[in-house]
Amino acid sequence: MAKRQQKRNIYHREKDYLLRSQAYIESDDEKSSESLLEELKSITGNYEELLDQTVLITRISDRLQKKLDQTNDKLSVLNDQLNDKNIELQNTIDDLVKAKVGRKATTIVFIFALVLFVISEAFVEPYIESYANNIYLSLSIKAVIAMSIKPLEMLVEGNLLKTARRKRLEAISEHS
Amino acid sequence: MEQLKIEKTKTSPMVDFNAESGHLELSGRSIPEDSFSFYNPLLEWLREYAEQAKEKTHFKIYLEYFNTSASKYILEILKVVKKIADTTLTIEWCYDEGDDEMMETGEDYEDIIGLEFVYSEIEE
Repeated sequence: MAKRQQKRNIYHREKDYLLRSQAYIESDDEKSSESLLEELKSITGNYEELLDQTVLITRISDRLQKKLDQTNDKLSVLNDQLNDKNIELQNTIDDLVKAKVGRKATTIVFIFALVLFVISEAFVEPYIESYANNIYLSLSIKAVIAMSIKPLEMLVEGNLLKTARRKRLEAISEHS
Repeated sequence: MEQLKIEKTKTSPMVDFNAESGHLELSGRSIPEDSFSFYNPLLEWLREYAEQAKEKTHFKIYLEYFNTSASKYILEILKVVKKIADTTLTIEWCYDEGDDEMMETGEDYEDIIGLEFVYSEIEE
C-alpha cells in the first residue's frame, strides 16, 4: 500500500493536471474560444512534458537493460570460471585428504606390524622352536603376517577416508 | 537562504546545495525507496533558489546509477534549474571513466532541456 502510494506521489503533478482538465471538460460552464485555447495550450504543454519524460525514461531504461544484459553475460562467464576453479579445488582437496589419510594409515599399519613382529619374535617363535622346531612353519607364519600388511593398510585407509569425507560433509552442511 | 546538505547513503545521493556560493552538487547512487520524499525537498529548495539565484551557478551532477523514478526527478530538477539560465549557469555532468552509458544519458537530458552541459570524465 505504502509503495503504491509512493508511485502515485511520483506522478502527483501529472495526475493533478489530468483531473483539472477532466473537470474543465465536465463543467457545465460556458466555454469561450479564448478559454478553450488556453486549456488546449495547457494540455499541450503538459503533454509535451510527459512526452519528454517518456522519451527520456525509455532511453534510460533501454540503456540500463543493455548494461544489465552485459553484466549478466560477464557474471555468467565468471560463474563458469568459478565452477571450474571449484572443481579443481575440490580435486586438489581430495588428493590432499587422500595423501594425509594414506600417511596416517601407513603409520598405523607400521605400528601394528611392529607389534606383530615383536609378538612373533617374543612369543610365537620360541613356541614353534620348543614344540614344532620347524623353520618352514616359522617362515610361513611370518609370511602370512607380512602379506596381511598391505590389505590391512588398504582397509585402514578406506575407513579413514570414509571418516574424513563424513566430517567434511558435516562441516559443509553446518556452513550452509 | 539555508544550505541544503544531505549525506549520501547506499540508496540516495549526496546533496550539497549552497545558495551563498551558487554551487549545487548531486552525487552518488540514486535508487531511493521513496523518490518523492527524497526529491521533493530538493525541488522546493531549487524553486526558491531560482527566484534569487546567484550570478554564477555551478550545478554538478555526478551519478553512478539511478533508477527510473529518480530519472524523472532529475529531469524535473533540470527543468527548474533551466529557469535560472539567464544568470551564468554551468551544468557539469560527471561520469566514471569508460561509463559511456552515463555520458549518453547526460546527452539525452541535454537534448530535452535544451541547455549545454559540460562533460567531465572522472578517472577511477
